[in-house]
Amino acid sequence: MRHSHGVHQAVLGVVSRNPEGIHGYAVRLQGERLLGHFWRLNFGEIYRILDRLAADGLIEQIAGGESVRKVYRITPRGQRSLDDYVLSPQTDAPRPLRQELAVKLLFASSEHLPELLRLVARQRDAYLQELHTLGAERRKMHRAPFDAFVTHLMIDGAELAARAEIAWLGEVATRLRERYGAGATGNATA
Amino acid sequence: MIEYRQVTKVFGSGDTAVKAVDDLSFTIERGDFWSLMGPSGAGKSTVLHLIAGLTSPTSGAVLVEGRDVARMSGKEAAELRRRRVGYVLQAFNLLPFLTAEENVGMPLVLDGVPQREIDRRVPAALELVKMTHRAKHHPTTLSGGEQQRVAIARALVIDPAIVLADEPTGNLDRANGRAVMDLLVDLNERLSVTILLVTHDPVFAAMAKRVLHLVDGSLEQTTASDGDGDALTTSGRRR
Repeated sequence: MRHSHGVHQAVLGVVSRNPEGIHGYAVRLQGERLLGHFWRLNFGEIYRILDRLAADGLIEQIAGGESVRKVYRITPRGQRSLDDYVLSPQTDAPRPLRQELAVKLLFASSEHLPELLRLVARQRDAYLQELHTLGAERRKMHRAPFDAFVTHLMIDGAELAARAEIAWLGEVATRLRERYGAGATGNATA
Repeated sequence: MIEYRQVTKVFGSGDTAVKAVDDLSFTIERGDFWSLMGPSGAGKSTVLHLIAGLTSPTSGAVLVEGRDVARMSGKEAAELRRRRVGYVLQAFNLLPFLTAEENVGMPLVLDGVPQREIDRRVPAALELVKMTHRAKHHPTTLSGGEQQRVAIARALVIDPAIVLADEPTGNLDRANGRAVMDLLVDLNERLSVTILLVTHDPVFAAMAKRVLHLVDGSLEQTTASDGDGDALTTSGRRR
């Protein structure tokens, strides 16, 4: 969830599910339960977001009983804001992909083929590592005692993205070998 | 468990000779789970064939449990295939006129295992792949995913130390492919079966503990970083 526009809304959403009130620690636990691997907020971040949401009037502190923890619940305004958010169109633009590798490919020379292939392989391995983590996460969710519907969808999406990257990197490696490898006739200019 | 020592395998000769495996060395320890990726024609299937003794290396040696496969007697080689190595292929190769349980029991029948023993081991293998309820069904009445599970049960019924899986998800849709992979991971984790998987699918390859990349018959060299804990090892090793 880090760096995502949805972070505040995710925290607001968790608070909204607890009409009797919820404290920061429980927000984190519930968030992890709901989103697993994709919920990457630490306590500091959660408390900052809760403060912010409270300052904006989207949540309010309720009189805690014996606990010294701050307990929050969503306000009508917060609920409207959350509903608006849930139903509003996505704001994510396609991310500018592969720029870094493109620049390297453009300006590396043909005699750097082994190094280029290593760069490509390293990037591919990073995605394989990501897939390994996602696979472990999926298996964990299978055993989870709650409905991890959304997490499964998130994992599906992340897997598809990683597959696409790996397929493309494989294509890059093949084409680099064809162009610059032993026996290649291609010119070294890009 | 499985050791490749500078193995080269050449098919054909002269101008048409193709090096399917080129000076390949690696060691798979007991209980490991490796996957092998690479473009078509990179030699992935040949790597498996050499382990099962289905073909012999042109040079070098393939050792399974410390013994050189190519130097085994016919009887020893047959024993290796019938009792130590389970093979799972993309094509399920089930006999259509036999039921699921009869298909699963076939390797035992061929090996002359007593019927009482077969009656004990077949249900256990079907149970492992969660196909007990389909034991009496013929392959044509089973879905692709179910057929592959039966084929896996057939590979497991010999209680193999090693499972070689060559594109086992190749004919399956996503959900069934995932189920087969979950099964392999489970076998590796719970029964410590050593698994070598050939796959084109990065999602499935990454479920192994280590991913090797084969290019033109040899391991692609990448920066080595040995995996620890949950990490996946993706480096090729060349000695």
